[in-house]
Amino acid sequence: MVPPEYYLFLSAAMFCIGLFGILTRRNALLFLMSVELMLNAANINLVAFSLVWGNVTGQTFGLFTMALAAAEVAIGIGIILVLYRNFDGVDVTDATTMRW
Amino acid sequence: MVGILDFAPAIVLLPFVSFLVALSVGDHLPKGGALAGVAATAGSLVLAVGTVLAVAGGRTYDATIYTWAEGLEAVDLTFGVLIDPLSAMMLLIVTLVAFLVHVFSLGYMNDEGETGLPRYYAGLGLFSASMLGFVVADNLLMAFMFFELVGLCSYLLIGFHFREPGPPSAAKKAFLVTRFGDYFFLVGVVAVFGTFGTAAFAGSESFPALAEAALRGETTVNTFGFAPGTWFTIVGLLILGGVIGKSAQYPLHTWLPDAMEGPTPVSALIHAATMVAAGVYLVARMYGFYAISPTALAIIAFVGGFTALFAATMGLVKREIKQVLAYSTISQYGYMMLALGGGGYVAATFHLMTHAFFKALLFLGAGSVIIAMHHNEDMWDMGGLRSKMPVTYYTFLSGSLALAGIFPFAGFWSKDEVLYETLLHGLDGDPILLAAYAMGLIAVFFTGLYTFRMVFLTFHGDPRSSTAEDPHGVRWNVKFPLVVLGVLAAVAGLVNMVPVKKVTGLEIDYLHKWLEHGYAGLTVEHYGTLLHDFPHYGSAGLELSPLLPGAVSLGLALAGAVVAHRLYNVPDPAEHTDRLGEIKTVLYNNYYQDEYQVWIANGLTRPLARAANKFDGGIVDGVVNGVSGVSLFTGTRIRRIQTGVVSNYAVLLTLGLTALILAFGLVGGWFV
Repeated sequence: MVPPEYYLFLSAAMFCIGLFGILTRRNALLFLMSVELMLNAANINLVAFSLVWGNVTGQTFGLFTMALAAAEVAIGIGIILVLYRNFDGVDVTDATTMRW
Repeated sequence: MVGILDFAPAIVLLPFVSFLVALSVGDHLPKGGALAGVAATAGSLVLAVGTVLAVAGGRTYDATIYTWAEGLEAVDLTFGVLIDPLSAMMLLIVTLVAFLVHVFSLGYMNDEGETGLPRYYAGLGLFSASMLGFVVADNLLMAFMFFELVGLCSYLLIGFHFREPGPPSAAKKAFLVTRFGDYFFLVGVVAVFGTFGTAAFAGSESFPALAEAALRGETTVNTFGFAPGTWFTIVGLLILGGVIGKSAQYPLHTWLPDAMEGPTPVSALIHAATMVAAGVYLVARMYGFYAISPTALAIIAFVGGFTALFAATMGLVKREIKQVLAYSTISQYGYMMLALGGGGYVAATFHLMTHAFFKALLFLGAGSVIIAMHHNEDMWDMGGLRSKMPVTYYTFLSGSLALAGIFPFAGFWSKDEVLYETLLHGLDGDPILLAAYAMGLIAVFFTGLYTFRMVFLTFHGDPRSSTAEDPHGVRWNVKFPLVVLGVLAAVAGLVNMVPVKKVTGLEIDYLHKWLEHGYAGLTVEHYGTLLHDFPHYGSAGLELSPLLPGAVSLGLALAGAVVAHRLYNVPDPAEHTDRLGEIKTVLYNNYYQDEYQVWIANGLTRPLARAANKFDGGIVDGVVNGVSGVSLFTGTRIRRIQTGVVSNYAVLLTLGLTALILAFGLVGGWFV
């Protein structure tokens, strides 16, 4: 059996990749993908601890998180669509007209 | 049992109804609502006569009609009606004069084709109603409210001809000057409530009774850290502020001569029975409160005596007939104040009554002359009206003899009693009273002089203008009030011939006896006790024959009249006042009272107000604006972190999370 530390390293690595994507990319679609990575990093933790403790609650929770991620993507795509219509592109740094 | 006194509120309500009628449907009534006013005041007069008869039968009435605020820490604010000999007498005077003024207005306003009559009659109705409400008030707060209503009505009526420049200005002045006094009155009312917890005039729980008990040490009231005597004097003087404003005493008399801009019947109503009388009546109403304060009495007497003399001198040089009468009004109210301050409660009430009759008569007579002269009021354009308008002349003469205090007309008896009482109490060793008496006595001479100067210039000699040669006739509605008042001015003094009583022993001082009954705390005997115990009036037990002081004042009045006769009762009188030179200029400009009051307003009050405005705008507003300015400035800086760029938010979020984790780690000891 794989020790839980490995799962944690995988999860932390995925989270950091996602965070790096959010902090460096300007493309809204890449933003969305990075967010998915971070969400799934958390999911890996849930499933891994569920396996270690032999309790399926964590895995159930993982399913919920996926559903939530799907909903989030649906909304995110919608936002990106509007972004594209209004600013002729998907660069998040363009959409600054609503500030002060 | 339902008696006539239960209808007392109707005396007040009837003129109020006429006010409503004239205001709402006056345009559609014949004579612009005048008949409603005449009917209402006639009804009030009948009820007032009934009231006087009932009071003569020994009955009194004191009832709370309406409590409009209760339970405020045991202080109830109420409207009530108090009928005792004093208020019954005043009701009769006010209703009679109001009725006659309404009748006279038919001749002065309707027959002269004035416009806006419903407004005029509405004003007269409300004026009468508010004065009657003031007279029957059973507590100080109600009195104050009606006092203010009277002031409002005077404003409305003085400014009746609002399209001309003078009347609105005069109306504003009357309103503002009396309001200045009323501020003190209002503070006084609050002080009375704060001190005694009640403002009732009559009964053992009334504020004069409580004040007396407190001074005798029988009870304690909240005197805010002062000695009771000092505090009662302060409160009394605060209320006196309102009295001085309304009764046109020095230095708040300046509104009254300007008030002549109003229609002449209004002047008659204001000066004889309503507004100006209200001040003196208020002091008489709460005399039990003033009688315990020697200082307040001395101030009242001195102000009264000074005003009597001061106003009389100004009356000497005026050209307009109504101006002379205006200054005589101020002067005569000075006599009443002199009497009140000198311990002559009956004398003051007596003079209030006789003055109401003869001054209403003189104003209505002047109104008749003004009709005849086509609204020219300058006496130097008159002359020789005696033969053309005999009714006006003889009634006016009766009023003038009364005003000058010539035996046996009404004014002689009352003025003589005023002076006698003051002299008697002054001789006890009160120099202030003696000084006030001396001023009052000198004013008698001037009164005789200006009164007969007016009579001779108006009615005697040759006509000095074409209008005076062919004056406009007057009708019954002018003559009827003149005749009624002319008779009263001649005989009203007979109700209280104290000198005759003292000499012959006949019991004919009816007014004294009249004011002797009623509520225990509101009788002449009670006031006599108070005057003896607190200011020690009459404690020396002096006996003074009324003959010599009476002869002196009559002699002075006659001397004034004779001087006027010598100077002005010639076919073509000269302006002898010109010989006074500079003095005439000073007198004609009223001792520059208006100027110095305007100077105080402009030179003192306005800079003060400007400084206050600066403080308000600079300091008070500055603090508020400064706080908001700081918020706004920091807001404009801090909002810069809201860039609108999502990446920046993500950076901040990440940094924040990192900082939090670090902080928790440090506190939780992970790194140890």
